[in-house]
Amino acid sequence: MTTQFKLHNIVKRYGSRKVLDIDQLDLREGRIYTIMGPNGSGKSTLLRIMSLLLVNDEGELEVLSEKVNWEKEQLLYLRRQMSMVTQTAFMFQGSVDYNVAYGLKARKMRSRMIRERVNEMLEMVGMSAYREADARTLSGGERQKVALARAMAVNPGVLFLDEPTSNIDMASAAEIEKHIRTINQEQGTSIILVTHNLFQARRLADEVIFIHEGRIIERGSAGSIFDDPKDKRTLAFLHGEAVIQ
Amino acid sequence: MNIFVEGIKEGVNLIWQMDPEIIQITLLSLQVSLTALVISAVIGIPTGAALALKKIPGKRIFLNIIYTLMGLPPVLAGLLVYLLLTYRGPLGQFELLFTPSAMVFAQVLLAAPIVCGLTARAVMALNQDVYDTAATLGASRRQASATIMREARIGIVAALTTAFGRVIAEVGAVMLVGGNIRWSTRVLTTSIVLETRMGNFSTAIAIGIILLTLSFIINLLILKLEKRTLRYDNTIQIT
Repeated sequence: MTTQFKLHNIVKRYGSRKVLDIDQLDLREGRIYTIMGPNGSGKSTLLRIMSLLLVNDEGELEVLSEKVNWEKEQLLYLRRQMSMVTQTAFMFQGSVDYNVAYGLKARKMRSRMIRERVNEMLEMVGMSAYREADARTLSGGERQKVALARAMAVNPGVLFLDEPTSNIDMASAAEIEKHIRTINQEQGTSIILVTHNLFQARRLADEVIFIHEGRIIERGSAGSIFDDPKDKRTLAFLHGEAVIQ
Repeated sequence: MNIFVEGIKEGVNLIWQMDPEIIQITLLSLQVSLTALVISAVIGIPTGAALALKKIPGKRIFLNIIYTLMGLPPVLAGLLVYLLLTYRGPLGQFELLFTPSAMVFAQVLLAAPIVCGLTARAVMALNQDVYDTAATLGASRRQASATIMREARIGIVAALTTAFGRVIAEVGAVMLVGGNIRWSTRVLTTSIVLETRMGNFSTAIAIGIILLTLSFIINLLILKLEKRTLRYDNTIQIT
């Protein structure tokens, strides 16, 4: 399995505040990684840097075997092999169809192929009946499904998920989880998931990365992190979250 | 009250009779204001978008200047254009003073800051999610920028309608640089001033009604165009 992401001494600051300080992080293809940690620990910042939406202040970033130079052409090439679903599942003004077709149109695919792919994706998430619906009138769960279909339509090698089920009910969350697993297992898409949900992380993750105050303090298989955390901060977080959940 | 009733009657009559002078004045008003609006849109929309999206040194000061120019007094705009186009002015050689072109020039000075400033605000009001979503779906910078503009289009249409309202109703600048010359630079607003000065109040009101009707029709067309691009109802439901 090849390494898709290599982070070396990555630092990100907001003003004088250091929000991310990653010594070393390698992520391999085809796996499901879960990034966990308390609010403000730098999880989303890490995800935004890896998805090339945010420029790191220091350090070296290697994505899909390319050292990132943040040049326009390289960014487009790399971004077209990844996609993302966020907590808010932002929808463009327009129909569900317009939204799911967006990435395909950006790649200038033929309209017949776009139509077929949109059909396929909406069928996958069980939203075919909503094709012509206004995307902004959908419920939270429906939006997440459409966002997932939209992200998967472009057939990405890597899928970033930033708390994709935190705003939706358990039944919808379970359905999204099922799709995430299918995407990973059947299409071999690497998944990098930020979540607060311990049970979700345990159910999905091949590997858990625990972040605290911008630093990786623990990393390992879901079983080892949840059953036998080595760091007391991980233990405290897991205990606190488990009590709440 | 009688004057208003007479004015309305005369307005209907003028429109009904298709008075050639009134038609010429109306068409010139439309031509000058729509040309100014198109030029202002061509200048103002990209500039406003650039101001909102790009990191430009001195951006805040520039925006502040644009916002200030949104309230530029028409007479002052007219004076500036007059000084530029007058025989001894820097653009005097083109002999544009007291022509419809001078009137367009003055109206662009009034409308472009409105289009630019309101476009910048409409784009700045959007969430980072718009760009992030477009970029993570593989949109190039150009495609993502086009998407941002598409998302801001209600605000941009508002900018255009506001700017049109400003120029079609404007009198000070066109009077100064156009000169209100019959069959040449007389427009609806300057006609109202002339008729009022001559004591023909009902005619002035009649022309005013034509002006308002024209403005209503143009805005209706702009809103129709907006509705065609907005397939879905964006009204906030208040129950």
